[in-house]
Amino acid sequence: MNDKHLSSQFDSDLNEVCSRLMEMGGLVEAQLQRAVGALEKYSLDIIREVIKVEEKVDALEVEIDHELTAVIARRQPAARDLRLLLAISKITTNLERTGDEAHKIAKRVRSIMERGETRNIPISDLRVASDLAVNLIQRALDAFVRLDVVAAIDVFKEDDLIDREFKGFTRKLITYMMEDPRTISSSLDLLSIAKAVERIGDHAKNIAEFIIYVVKGTDVRHSSLAHIESIVE
Amino acid sequence: MSAFFLILRLGALLFWLGAGVLIVSSLSESAFGVWFGASLGVVCWFLMDCRAIAQTLRWLYWLQENPQLAPPPLRGFWLEIISSVQRPLRQQIRRGQEVENNLKNLQSALQASPNGVIVLDEKNCIEWFNQTASHHLGLKPVRDILQPIHHLLRSPLFSDYLDNRDFDKPLELESPASTPAHPLKLSIWLHAYASNRRLMLTQDITSQQQTEIMRRDFVANVSHEIRTPLTVLIGFIETLQTLPPDETQQKYYLTMMERQAKRMQHLVSDLITLSHLENSPPPDFQEWTSVRDLLNQCETDAYALSQTLTQNMDAPPHQIIFPAVPEHARLAGSEKELFSLFTNLVFNAVRYTPPGGRIEISWTSLPEGDAIFSVKDSGPGITAEHIPRLTERFYRIDRSRSHETGGTGLGLSIVKHILIRHNAALSIESIPGHGARFTVQFPASHYRTASQDEATVTPV
Repeated sequence: MNDKHLSSQFDSDLNEVCSRLMEMGGLVEAQLQRAVGALEKYSLDIIREVIKVEEKVDALEVEIDHELTAVIARRQPAARDLRLLLAISKITTNLERTGDEAHKIAKRVRSIMERGETRNIPISDLRVASDLAVNLIQRALDAFVRLDVVAAIDVFKEDDLIDREFKGFTRKLITYMMEDPRTISSSLDLLSIAKAVERIGDHAKNIAEFIIYVVKGTDVRHSSLAHIESIVE
Repeated sequence: MSAFFLILRLGALLFWLGAGVLIVSSLSESAFGVWFGASLGVVCWFLMDCRAIAQTLRWLYWLQENPQLAPPPLRGFWLEIISSVQRPLRQQIRRGQEVENNLKNLQSALQASPNGVIVLDEKNCIEWFNQTASHHLGLKPVRDILQPIHHLLRSPLFSDYLDNRDFDKPLELESPASTPAHPLKLSIWLHAYASNRRLMLTQDITSQQQTEIMRRDFVANVSHEIRTPLTVLIGFIETLQTLPPDETQQKYYLTMMERQAKRMQHLVSDLITLSHLENSPPPDFQEWTSVRDLLNQCETDAYALSQTLTQNMDAPPHQIIFPAVPEHARLAGSEKELFSLFTNLVFNAVRYTPPGGRIEISWTSLPEGDAIFSVKDSGPGITAEHIPRLTERFYRIDRSRSHETGGTGLGLSIVKHILIRHNAALSIESIPGHGARFTVQFPASHYRTASQDEATVTPV
């Protein structure tokens, strides 16, 4: 986002929107980290904080959309600027959903805690995947700030890892549930947490897709990795 | 400028030509030759001057691109002009170089700073940062220049810190480059300077914080470890006081009490060992200990431990494989400490490997003279995030297992201290589910294999 425009006011408008987006990104990242931490530490305080941040994230989403509309109406951008603004709008949506997933994780952890079933379920096995997901969102946003397509492709590749972890975890949960039917309700909660983590990975991937859209001008949604790599090269 | 000069010159030429024609026409025939020669001379002089102008102009033109360009070989009036142009230019170049050197020196000084340094402009965009800062915050050199800092450091805590403009205190923050295996906690301090510009300093406080946590954990752990056997002891004492037990019951109680008391004794003696290791002077390196004897003793003890551990469970004992050590292999240092080092590592392997598991001990002499002792087990292994903290006191991966195995939780701390005292290094490799390998490397100066005269070798 360093290219200068003839109108410096436009530059500062764009920068302002980007800063807003990054503020939202920071909030969602922190929210995710907390939610994943709650999974590990079983702390009600952390869960409360996650739920509190949710409102802030929602408010920011509305605010960013409002600013975007204003910029588009006032400046009538074209080409890359237009793509950038569209991408920001889409990324906002994805970030908001990521926040929702974090919220969901926190709520599920709370329900596991309320049931008092924290010992006999494989909760620590979710650590790897959830840490990966947090890291992936962070890297996707970094790549967006730098408009770094190579880093964006790395995000794609790692999302597959999360998907694989998710499948493995599901298999494992089934064995737990078969072994001891009393753990089924907690296991189901865990399953939705795992699903949320997997969705977060997908959101990171979507953000990465929009980076390629901004830089290369090609919509790479629903295309294969090989195709995307060929576009970037 | 050049056009003006040319017009001036042309005017001068016309003047001289006109003057020449006038003079020639007014004078007699005989003087014609003389005047013709004179005007020819004037024309020649004029042409040469023109050439000098062209050279000077060309030089001035190219001078803008290359300030070091050699001036045309001219003399007199032209040399004066050239040097009057050159003198200030040279000075300017010299001053520019001085400024550039100063800047370079300043930058390398900042580069050498142990703290991360980031220079921010009025809009909080990154203008410059040093290597340490790029490690601390995961910044990409060159690429991240001009990037607003809050786009890369998105933590809400940092945004608030930046927005509040209250930079009296530093901000403690988890770095974006932090991973579960390599946590990185930073102290970030902004300083305002000039008009509305900022200097950002980052400092790695991970180890500081870990020390703090370790100290807190240590006190909590010691109390916990001592309280547990004490509670059991007091329980038995109270039982014995209140109801008179029969012979067999009494015997059972006393054995249990003995076990708990011994556990406390172990703990206290381990603590004493640790504090001794920490506070006593380094061991005498003139003392050489036979590695073979040490390992033989260790082997006997390891089998005994395996027996006691597996007997109660009715399980097969461990397969413990000890290497053949050369007869004259000797290590410098305290025999007691070295023995404690070997037994701690081997006993840990026995304790953490399920019955029937395989424990392989090896002793290798490297070509460069170092010696390597390694213990490989087929236990459950250790996940990567625990490895750096294993040598902390009372650090336990799985708290619920600590009592089954009967260790005090101080073994690896003792090992670490002994290693430091013997200039040796410990490395731990493990793949979860596939066992672990603890490797100790002794430096060549503390190890020898041939039967040398002991007095001639003085290790450093």
